[in-house]
Amino acid sequence: MSDIARKVCMLGDFGVGKTSLVARYVRNTFSEKYLTTVGVKVDSRVVALPGGVDLKLVIWDIAGKAALDSVNKNYLRGASGLILVADGTREASLRAALNLAMQARDVINEPACVLFVNKLDLVDRWEVAPAVLEEIRRSITVFETSALSGDGVEAGFDELARMLAP
Amino acid sequence: MTLLPDAVETYLNHLLRARARPLLLTFDANWQLVDLHGDTGHHGLDAEAPQALVQQLQDLFLGLPHDQPQDLPFVELAGGRHAHVHLVPDGDTFHLLLLDAGDEHGRTQAHQQLGNDAALAGIEKSRTLARLRQIKSELEQQRARLEEANALKNALFATLSHEFRTPLTSIFGYLHLLERDGASARDQALLALRRNASYLFALAENLLEYGRGEAGESLLDPGALDLAALVADLDAMFRPLAAEKGLALVVDAGAAPPAEALFDAVKLRQVAINLLSNALRYTPAGYVRAHLAWDGTRLVLEVRDTGLGIDAGSRAKVFKPFNRGAQHGSRGAGLGLSIVKRLVERMSGSIDLESELGQGSTFRVALPALAGAGMPQAAPAANRRSLGALIVDDDPDVAALLDVLLGDLGMRTRVASNVAAALAAVAAEMPDLVLVDVELPGISGNAAVYQLRSQGYKGRIVTVSANATESARAAALAAGADHYLTKPLDFAQFARVVQSAGAIS
Repeated sequence: MSDIARKVCMLGDFGVGKTSLVARYVRNTFSEKYLTTVGVKVDSRVVALPGGVDLKLVIWDIAGKAALDSVNKNYLRGASGLILVADGTREASLRAALNLAMQARDVINEPACVLFVNKLDLVDRWEVAPAVLEEIRRSITVFETSALSGDGVEAGFDELARMLAP
Repeated sequence: MTLLPDAVETYLNHLLRARARPLLLTFDANWQLVDLHGDTGHHGLDAEAPQALVQQLQDLFLGLPHDQPQDLPFVELAGGRHAHVHLVPDGDTFHLLLLDAGDEHGRTQAHQQLGNDAALAGIEKSRTLARLRQIKSELEQQRARLEEANALKNALFATLSHEFRTPLTSIFGYLHLLERDGASARDQALLALRRNASYLFALAENLLEYGRGEAGESLLDPGALDLAALVADLDAMFRPLAAEKGLALVVDAGAAPPAEALFDAVKLRQVAINLLSNALRYTPAGYVRAHLAWDGTRLVLEVRDTGLGIDAGSRAKVFKPFNRGAQHGSRGAGLGLSIVKRLVERMSGSIDLESELGQGSTFRVALPALAGAGMPQAAPAANRRSLGALIVDDDPDVAALLDVLLGDLGMRTRVASNVAAALAAVAAEMPDLVLVDVELPGISGNAAVYQLRSQGYKGRIVTVSANATESARAAALAAGADHYLTKPLDFAQFARVVQSAGAIS
């Protein structure tokens, strides 16, 4: 078992694929059926970092909302990292993810942050233009992901793990 | 709160315990389990081997202080069970109280699912409505185009019946004159026959070119240009007509282009014939002058007349087919200038018009030399360097073919067979051009294009697909491609697109 563990929270509007991303990363599974998350589910995976260090990512999959309420804020306490998740086919979900990041900063001090823009397999239906992500990349690390195909998922979580390395 | 009667307190205690199925785990400061109470089985806890649940709870409270009460509602535990988890500090130890949330979770989830599904359906509904509106507008545009095409076709037939009949009547008339009067009418009749035959020839050429434009682009045929011969030919063709109208005609040549500069002589001749024929038609008095010369970089053809002129409002319209009304008192099929424009653009040239109503018009055509193989010439040699291209295609045969084609166009190439390899190759080498097949295994080529653009790649991207629908094309361009080509590839078009990409890079 790894000695180092970091709590990270999945934050994003409902239906953007937070639970599916965790399922892909932790269990390498995917389900087409949308099942809303109530409360929180905690999963973990150990990431081997360069230099032979193992880091355990404790991943909190939190019920999706466009804004943080007191319950969700409570879930965030103790987190070191945030995975903001947006759905490329819903531009509003990108704005929601960025808003959630701002709100989360009230609870967590300078969290490590990555943005997953999910549903890359549906890129032909994306509302988010490439130039928008090019701009956002200036302030946050962005991964285009597909929980369905797995594209970008491993790379995104591993990058956050590297950012959280001691 | 005042205590309730004992009987009620006891009842309530039993009721709440029966519903909440409390499980209490007491830990020391080092997360060593020191005590355990309650319904272990219900919460999926093996009392003999509690380590799995303990580990899960430890993860749950990672980063949280143990000396303050904590309340974490709706936590999913092993086996899909749900509990409200409370931390209660107690001196050097702390208690974790798990209260069953299964039923409440089920109800909340069903309620939330309904709300979320309805919201997602609402989004999908407005999206579908927007798509329908888009389709409706496209259909309307298509209908307008069809109506316009139909009107053009009708105009064409109406014009042609007149345009063919007029010179043919004249030809038959002069033939009759020749038969009747013999040698005495010969010179005048031959002149008239030649003039009308030339006109019919030009009309036939224009119709062929117009038809080609409808069916697809015609290829260029570059060759050496004999400027003197072209000038002599044009002069011979138009002098009789000018003489008949009492107009002065000058057709002359300036500097000849260098021998290595190639042009499509047939198309150039067609451009000159149309412009001269147009100038003579709309000039009642004065002169028409055509001048052809190489200006060091381009071949310039200038046709100046002292004719009716074209007012500012009609200048843009004269290049559209069947718009002869733009020049008053007109005669002709109204195809000439539209075909001139099409031919000039086909040869990568430009056309300008200066005109003043009542004073005359000047058409100026500038044509760059053509490279070999029917392609417009790429950037001048001084600016050209060996461009790098990345081919993203999983089919090795297609990739090899594209490799050869791009090599022929002077490009350095590299092949990637999937999206990940493509992204890595672009990051490493920043090629000038990326050629992407949409139908890649796994994630589509459009996703690769999107990621390249969102990562700031500014080079040219050409998407290739077997899907010829407008929506597929729109999706590729929305993802960030500059061009969309469909399979099977039209090699001439492919080369043109690649070279234009190279010129811009």
